[in-house]
Amino acid sequence: MRRGWRWLVVAAATAVLVALPFAAHLLPVAHSSVSAAQLLTRIQGSAHVQYSGYAESSGGLALPVTTRFNSINDLFGDRTQLRVWWRAADDWRVDSINLAGERDLRRDRLGVWTWDYESNTAERFVEAVVPIVRLPRPDDLVPATLARRLLSQVGAAQVTRLPDARIAGHDAAGLRLQITDARSTIEHVDVWALPASGLPVRVTVFGKGDSAPVLTSSLLDLSTSAPPASQTAFRPAVTAKVRSSQFGDIVAAVDQFGQSTPPPQLAGLRRAPLHLGSVGVYGQGVTALVAVPVPPRLARTLARQLAGTPGSVSVSSGGSEIGALSISVGPLNLLLSAEGIDDARWLLAGTVTAPTLLAAVAELPPAAGFR
Amino acid sequence: MIAVELRKLARRPRTWATLFLLDLLPTVVAVLLAVTHLGPRPGQGPAFLSAVLANGSLFSVAALAIVLPLFLPVAVTVIAGDSIAGEAQAGTLRYLLTRPVGRTRLLVAKLIAVLVFVLVAVVVVAGTGYLVGKLLLGGQPLTASTSVAGVTGVTSVSGSTLTAGQIALRTVLAIGYVALSMIGVAAMALLLSTFSDSPLSASLGALAFLIGSSLLLPLDAARGIAPYLPTRYWLSFIDLFRDPILWRNVERGVLLQLVYVVVLLGAAWANFSSKDITS
Repeated sequence: MRRGWRWLVVAAATAVLVALPFAAHLLPVAHSSVSAAQLLTRIQGSAHVQYSGYAESSGGLALPVTTRFNSINDLFGDRTQLRVWWRAADDWRVDSINLAGERDLRRDRLGVWTWDYESNTAERFVEAVVPIVRLPRPDDLVPATLARRLLSQVGAAQVTRLPDARIAGHDAAGLRLQITDARSTIEHVDVWALPASGLPVRVTVFGKGDSAPVLTSSLLDLSTSAPPASQTAFRPAVTAKVRSSQFGDIVAAVDQFGQSTPPPQLAGLRRAPLHLGSVGVYGQGVTALVAVPVPPRLARTLARQLAGTPGSVSVSSGGSEIGALSISVGPLNLLLSAEGIDDARWLLAGTVTAPTLLAAVAELPPAAGFR
Repeated sequence: MIAVELRKLARRPRTWATLFLLDLLPTVVAVLLAVTHLGPRPGQGPAFLSAVLANGSLFSVAALAIVLPLFLPVAVTVIAGDSIAGEAQAGTLRYLLTRPVGRTRLLVAKLIAVLVFVLVAVVVVAGTGYLVGKLLLGGQPLTASTSVAGVTGVTSVSGSTLTAGQIALRTVLAIGYVALSMIGVAAMALLLSTFSDSPLSASLGALAFLIGSSLLLPLDAARGIAPYLPTRYWLSFIDLFRDPILWRNVERGVLLQLVYVVVLLGAAWANFSSKDITS
């Protein structure tokens, strides 16, 4: 015993130190009486709510795509760490951070600044050419932005309340959107938001038949104070390479300069209104697909890559192959159509079933390249 | 007794050879960068290495990032693992304790000697990195990198301009943070050193612990325990160079290392104070 007391002291100290982080989880969560409809309305109108914080998102969608679409893999196939300062819908800053640097987006009234530390490059996109259609960016994964997008056209009848939870040190009210559309591959979307302001703090998306979420985005630190304007303003250092760009990515360029004209409806899904580019966005919420006319060179690269990816299948219709390739990655389905004009192809992707994509590609005109 | 241990540490050629080798790698990297002007591609290579070509004054923190994943922990485990086990292997531990010296006092003296080594190693790496960066890669950014607003300084990770004073303060904080991380390593090696009569076993045991932690970190299945792994926040000193500073991971890194240090040193004390000394 004389020898053992020292070990007892060490064991007791260890137990206390290990238990401390878990003690915070034992704090009771204040119950909110807000209804599902009220919470939905507040979430949909929360773009003006000012806040700052740190968020993490993680996804399991590792896509077989070329380097031109690598940003999608980074965002949806891995863990993303985000710092957010939100003053208004046209005044915010989102930093995507990693161990070697960070890539930042700063929105102001005139457009968007992007900053990449490792390449020491600041790029300016002026508002006149901010693309309507573009590849996903880190700011799309911020819980508040993601939740508003997913719930944008949802009605009160489609949502139910979930138990409250303590998230980022705040009591949050839960909301579940159950997807009933048979064309969708998403089972439900769970959102937690601050009951008073409607600011979403956590989003989880579950695919049909999945026990684990396919996409999670959650604030881990949150301040509801208004961030100062100096935090969102950006002025590049003299040593930075500064560029001014018209297009953020290949999809935005295709949308403006592609020759293809997507129809107003595909597989029963209506095309997004007020958008007349070459890229078609169909459906709403999480039952959506995008049809991109891929230029010939990129189409050939994509076709080679898809053909060599385990799990990809050559699409058949009426017993014969139609020259298209498809693959499923979790709830996301991709389909690369047969060659169109000059070897251009349609790339269809969405959280809709494979038969829905097949029906959609049959309704598309032959793909064409750039004007 | 502390002075004796410090003198013993300073007189050992191994101490100086370790410090020399620690400095050698960042110096070789700086020479290669200066000669070839080829930095790592974005997303590859240690932190800050792509930035030092345009900004040599940041090479002090780049040097820390270079040695932190492997070289520095190896050096620390070699020195700390030798503390008690080295005496036992040489057969001098019994004689040390026959002097009117308590075991706790001896352990504290050994610990302080290891702490001094850790601090000196980190400061020397950062200092050498700064000098080598200035000499080989140019120190002009501190005076010539003038922002549009007319503020002189260095570009932060977030793209804003940090003044020379801000960079100096943050570098000092980074040195302290890395030193604390290495004290956690030293505590593990010191604990194993009280269990074993072989310094090699103590050093390798501590390294195995760290390598295990590093291997578990990228696994999705280990995400639940990742915040408690000793190497989880090692590289978070980079967050000190963002604007504003991201304190979240730095705070967690400090707390985690303190917990490891308290628990491991407590266990080392409990074991060493009560074990039978036979060699």
